[in-house]
Amino acid sequence: MKIGVCIKSTPDTSSRIQINPGGDDLSEAGVKWATSPYDMFAIEEAVQTKEATGGEVILFSASHQDTSKEVRKALALGPDSAVCIQDDGLAKADSLSFATSLAKAIEAEGCTLVFTGKRASDGNNIQVPAMVAELLGWPHVSFVTDFELDGESFKAVRAVGGGVEEVITGNLPVVITAERGLNSPRYAKLPMIVKAKKKPLATKSLADLGLTADDVAPIVTLSNYEPPAERGDCIILEGDAATTAKELVRRLREEAKVL
Amino acid sequence: MSFDLFNPTEEHRMLREMVAEFTTNEVEPQAAEHDIKGTMNVELMRQCGELGLLGITVPEEGGGAGMDTVASVIVHHELSKSDPGFALAYLAHSLLFVNNFYYASNAEQRERYMPKVLTGEWIAGMGMTEPGAGTDVLGMSSTAVRDGDDWILNGVKTYITNGCEAHCFQVYAKVDGRITTFVVDRDCPGLSTSHHIDKLGMRGSTMSELIFEDCRVPGNNLLGEVGGGMVHMMRNLEIERLALAAMSLGIADRCVEIMVSHAHERKAFGQSINRFGQIQKYIGDSYAMTEAARCLIYNVAQNVGPDVRNRIGSDAAKLFAAPVGKIVADNAMQVMGGQGYCREYPVERLWRDAKLIEIGGGTLESHQKNLTKDLSAKFRQ
Ligand SMILES: Cc1cc2nc3c(=O)[nH]c(=O)nc-3n(C[C@H](O)[C@H](O)[C@H](O)COP(=O)(O)OP(=O)(O)OC[C@H]3O[C@@H](n4cnc5c(N)ncnc54)[C@H](O)[C@@H]3O)c2cc1C
Repeated sequence: MKIGVCIKSTPDTSSRIQINPGGDDLSEAGVKWATSPYDMFAIEEAVQTKEATGGEVILFSASHQDTSKEVRKALALGPDSAVCIQDDGLAKADSLSFATSLAKAIEAEGCTLVFTGKRASDGNNIQVPAMVAELLGWPHVSFVTDFELDGESFKAVRAVGGGVEEVITGNLPVVITAERGLNSPRYAKLPMIVKAKKKPLATKSLADLGLTADDVAPIVTLSNYEPPAERGDCIILEGDAATTAKELVRRLREEAKVL
Repeated sequence: MSFDLFNPTEEHRMLREMVAEFTTNEVEPQAAEHDIKGTMNVELMRQCGELGLLGITVPEEGGGAGMDTVASVIVHHELSKSDPGFALAYLAHSLLFVNNFYYASNAEQRERYMPKVLTGEWIAGMGMTEPGAGTDVLGMSSTAVRDGDDWILNGVKTYITNGCEAHCFQVYAKVDGRITTFVVDRDCPGLSTSHHIDKLGMRGSTMSELIFEDCRVPGNNLLGEVGGGMVHMMRNLEIERLALAAMSLGIADRCVEIMVSHAHERKAFGQSINRFGQIQKYIGDSYAMTEAARCLIYNVAQNVGPDVRNRIGSDAAKLFAAPVGKIVADNAMQVMGGQGYCREYPVERLWRDAKLIEIGGGTLESHQKNLTKDLSAKFRQ
């Protein structure tokens, strides 16, 4: 069985996000890139599934930039190979452009099970996994906190909010998106780091996948970025709990007029 | 891609990121507790084993990672940002024993010891220093004499890191006046250890004496040849000194980070204290000397290995870097005022830890002595 994992290089959560002078895009200068945090759960689940059932794990990334550094690092966690889709045609990509390229590459590799993070930490759109599934004609289960595979059939548990869990069973192929709690991602062991260098990492253009610029032309374009308005000063109420609670309610009602 | 002195290959960079993550998640949370109790975290050492960090400089065919001195420097550097005490225990295990032992041993000896020490199932240490011989290490008085197939060791080693926990030690003793290397198990008849020797800093590692009283060591525990100890000792001291220098750098890095954010957040006289020139001097000087130490250490580390001797470089790196950790920790404490002096923050611990680097693995004076000797030989040939 071939297990795919879609991972995205996003600005490291400690990076300072800045807007280009023209305001038309985010600045990539000085940004430290890292695999999006939720994708780490996806990688771990794929590797654990492989360890339990055999098969191989293939990483997929799509970007206009070179993501090989982050992908190589992810290979040290146990996947066997990687396909990096890199093409200038993805410079203004929207969710559907990424999904189109990823689905094509997944299809070409012959995967029957795909894991992704539940969302990417940059755009936060929560769209790509469902689109990939749709383009492949597969079902998908999102926000999964527990996953089991038995032959061709799977059982996935998803949190639906309010403490309620939904249990979904079905057969492969399927796209699973990982929620926190699905597993505890491992550290890259040093021997794996050394081996990662030798694992196959193929860089593919859109043309290599049989796609044209038109196939990935964005439907959604973002034209203007603005930093959020500065937060106003914070008022700290002093005194014991009873007094401050009373004062807080008074201010919320009379000054903020929200109660 | 441009050349990166601190991460010369992609593996070095990945190693650094992995150890940094491990340090933040696993090492930092336990540091203060082991400092207070004066204990070494054996479980954490075994976790290092699982990650493949205990045999970092051992070739792949020997079960290690097959990496170089730079890689070892990276691990000591990153660990010491949170816990120099644990990093010292790691140094004693991975360099003073594992690295030293691997290059001094034969195939049969490697088979007996390597699997245990690479996983951390066995903790290990090294005994060189004696109550009567520290800097003057060649003046050691421990002896070994042949008795049938065995060796009989007598003498006392002191300040032995991991002495309280270790299952085996690499030990130097004189055979007919010639320094010779042995590997000695804790349960060898005639070997005992003293109580835990309490200390100012580096309290995440322990140390004790090793007392040899007619200690009977099997003949196949002689490492290399009689008289081979000098080469083992000197070769290993170079990587050890760079690792210690890297620990000082880790301390300095952490202290710069802490003092910069504290100086921004702390207000006095209506403004951030980083507006005051005197505070700026602490910050500017600390950063500059930390960067200088970083460049020197990593530059030298490229040229130290089992077959590349570089005593001038390693002595110079430790001589320069040792006071940097100490001074920068002191500056951080000064910038923090009372908070810096309190147990609640890591600076006072790092400040206590930093001093060791000016003593252990060679005192500042011994580096000055070696440098003068080696430079004189170099320039006056
Ligand atoms: C925390 C800690 C851990 C240690 N771990 C280990 C270990 O695991 N294994 C091990 O074998 N040892 C270990 N040591 C011992 C360490 O290597 C020695 O302490 C060190 O080499 C100095 O020796 P000494 O303490 O005997 O000092 P001494 O040699 O007595 O030095 C005292 C002073 O005299 C100076 N001095 C000595 N000779 C000269 C000279 N020729 N010229 C100028 N000045 C001189 C020294 O620089 C120093 O200032 C450890 C020590 C400490 C503190």
